[in-house]
Amino acid sequence: MATGRVISARNMGLGVWPCDCTLNYSLNPGHMRKYLSDSGIHSPALRYGAGVGSFAVALLVRAALDPSLQNELPFAVFFAGIAAAAWFGGLGPSVVSAVLGFVAAELFFVDNQGIGWIASPVAIAVAVSYFLVAATIIMIGDARHMALARAVALQIELEQAHLAQMEGRYRGLLEAAPDGMVVVNQGGDIVLLNAQAEKQFGYRRDELLGQKVKNLIPEGFAERLVADGLRSPAEALAQQIGTGIELTGRRKDGSAFPIEIMLSPLESPEGLLVTAAVRDITVRRDAEVHLAQMEGRYRGLLEAAPDGMVVVNRDGEIVLLNAQAENQFGYRRDELLGQKVKNLIPKGFAERLVADGLRSPAEALAQQIGTGIELSGRRKDGSEFPIEIMLSPLESPEGLLVTAAVRDITVRRAAEAQLRRTVEELNRSNEELEQFAYVTSHDLQEPLRMVASYVELLSERYKGKLDADADDFIAFAVDGATRMQRLIHDLLLYSRVGTRGTEPCDTSSEEALRLALLNLRGATEESGALVTHDPLPIVQADELQLTQLFQNLIGNAVKYHSAGVPRIHISAAKDSAERWTFSVKDNGLGIDSQYFGKIFGMFQRLHKRAEFAGTGIGLAICKKIVERHGGSISVESQLGQGSSFRFCLTGSAAK
Amino acid sequence: MPLEVLLVEDNPGDVRLTQEAFRDANVHVRLHVASDGVEAMAFLRHLETHAHAPRPDMILLDLNLPKMDGREVLDRIKKDDDLKTIPTMILTTSEAEADILRSYQLQANCYLTKPITLGAFESLVKSINEFWMTKVRLPQQRPVK
Repeated sequence: MATGRVISARNMGLGVWPCDCTLNYSLNPGHMRKYLSDSGIHSPALRYGAGVGSFAVALLVRAALDPSLQNELPFAVFFAGIAAAAWFGGLGPSVVSAVLGFVAAELFFVDNQGIGWIASPVAIAVAVSYFLVAATIIMIGDARHMALARAVALQIELEQAHLAQMEGRYRGLLEAAPDGMVVVNQGGDIVLLNAQAEKQFGYRRDELLGQKVKNLIPEGFAERLVADGLRSPAEALAQQIGTGIELTGRRKDGSAFPIEIMLSPLESPEGLLVTAAVRDITVRRDAEVHLAQMEGRYRGLLEAAPDGMVVVNRDGEIVLLNAQAENQFGYRRDELLGQKVKNLIPKGFAERLVADGLRSPAEALAQQIGTGIELSGRRKDGSEFPIEIMLSPLESPEGLLVTAAVRDITVRRAAEAQLRRTVEELNRSNEELEQFAYVTSHDLQEPLRMVASYVELLSERYKGKLDADADDFIAFAVDGATRMQRLIHDLLLYSRVGTRGTEPCDTSSEEALRLALLNLRGATEESGALVTHDPLPIVQADELQLTQLFQNLIGNAVKYHSAGVPRIHISAAKDSAERWTFSVKDNGLGIDSQYFGKIFGMFQRLHKRAEFAGTGIGLAICKKIVERHGGSISVESQLGQGSSFRFCLTGSAAK
Repeated sequence: MPLEVLLVEDNPGDVRLTQEAFRDANVHVRLHVASDGVEAMAFLRHLETHAHAPRPDMILLDLNLPKMDGREVLDRIKKDDDLKTIPTMILTTSEAEADILRSYQLQANCYLTKPITLGAFESLVKSINEFWMTKVRLPQQRPVK
């Protein structure tokens, strides 16, 4: 319809208004008059009052002049009234003034010539002339009136446009605010809010306007609006203004969320309003909680660490420590922070922090990182205690820091020392025991040699010269002494394995076998035994002991032979890069498997003395020799099927 | 002409056994006995009661002796220009390698361990007799002072 109005205004020849882009619509006379009337300057009452008034003034002037004018110029004065009405009141009032002027002139000032005159050609001509003049005056006056109206309308229009613009801006400002904005009056009613507030609380705008703010912020906010008895509302607010207050907001669905509100007063024609900027701080709160949680965890981690933790900067100053470190060194935390770490660890630590000229601190540290360094810590009371520290670098905004985990190793040191003492004692007691066994059996040999020699001498010289009982007794004495001599001899051999051995070195096992067979020559020749062997390797061994080992095993094979010719075969097989397993296999009596575990023990014999002489020490010596060489010995056998003794040794260190 | 042998031995049982063994092996051996190192040196240097002791043709020396042990006796004999030409045999129960080595370093003429059986002991004495008193040529004259 606006365009229609423009067209009609142009048709009326009332001008085309320069187009101002800020104007929302074009002006037409109706509008302009409306603006004039709206402005209060040119209300219809005033305009028509001006019209009627100007007629009334003209009438009074004409009446006052009437005595001198008589019936002359009955209309002239009314033209002035019309002009005034047109000037001030525009079209309508001036028409009214013209009509009233014409009627008044006809009634009071035209020479009355009776009713019939009105219809006379002269009267008609006068009337036409009057209205033509009046119309002319009206047109000129109204043009001026319209110009005024236009100016006023333009002014108003501009003001309104400005206002609208400002309102738009402010609204935009309000709506664009990142926070929810809620304006509340003293009664706690919401008078204004923005889209952000709608979104935050999940209401539509119309659901909130005029409602109590208590619905949105159940606690804390309304109380701040209402003054208690002691303060004015302004005072109550003043205390809150500008400070962020953390409260809880409630959404339409009833869910609560943490908010921060900032209050500011707003003087308005409606009285003191309060603007509240409402910020949803769920994310921030979560982040804070998370941060607090993480910090708590890290602190907990630090404090719960079993080691004392001391964080030190490049200058050797302590920047952080945990409770364990306080306990270890006997200081309170505040006594240590900012102090030199040298007070705690006098030597070795500070030096590690400070680089020498050739290395950067990072390099100096890198050499220490991850390795436990044993140093000495000094407590507040000056006492020192052994510590182990582990260093790790810590990049921080303050620069390179060093975290030192400090462990009190007093107990460990004591335990280590105790262990060392125990091992030493054990070694000594073992040595003593071996020495004792050796010395004992050696020294026993002396008197025994006397006993044995002299009973033999008795036997040689007096056999058959005394009675039969004496011969028997002497025979038992000789037998006992002889067995005891063997026993002590074997015991000596056994104890010598540990006490008189030499360090194993590259030894030809074939040579050791040859020596063993040489020692056994008497026994093998007597039994007619056939001893064969594969090529045998060089091994790490004490040659004498390896010879003893072969000698005992082959000696047993010869001794416990069955009916046929004893056949003994020695072989060796490589079972890993450096292990050789030897086998001494015979076709002798064999051993019941139930005795496999027993035969390597001391004094263990499977045969009656009358069948086979022996001390039951031979295989124990074998076991001790093999074990001293870091190997093991075992047997596989079946009664009547022969036996196979296996033992393993380490191969030559060379090659 | 009897052979003069000095046996330095503190164990009377061994002294007797040696005497018995030599009696069986060679009737011409005259066995003199010193029961400790000090007495042995007195015998050799004709001191005190041994003023008329003969110069032995051979010495059988035990290592473990009271007062002065066999090693010291050996050392003194071999450092004495007059005595060092007398063949000195170690006859002991010790089988220790250290004793064997030390004895030879001190110029012992041989090292023998006492066998544990009577038969072996008798056979050892026979061997000594056979070798040192029959086969070996010993100096007849004392060294000229």
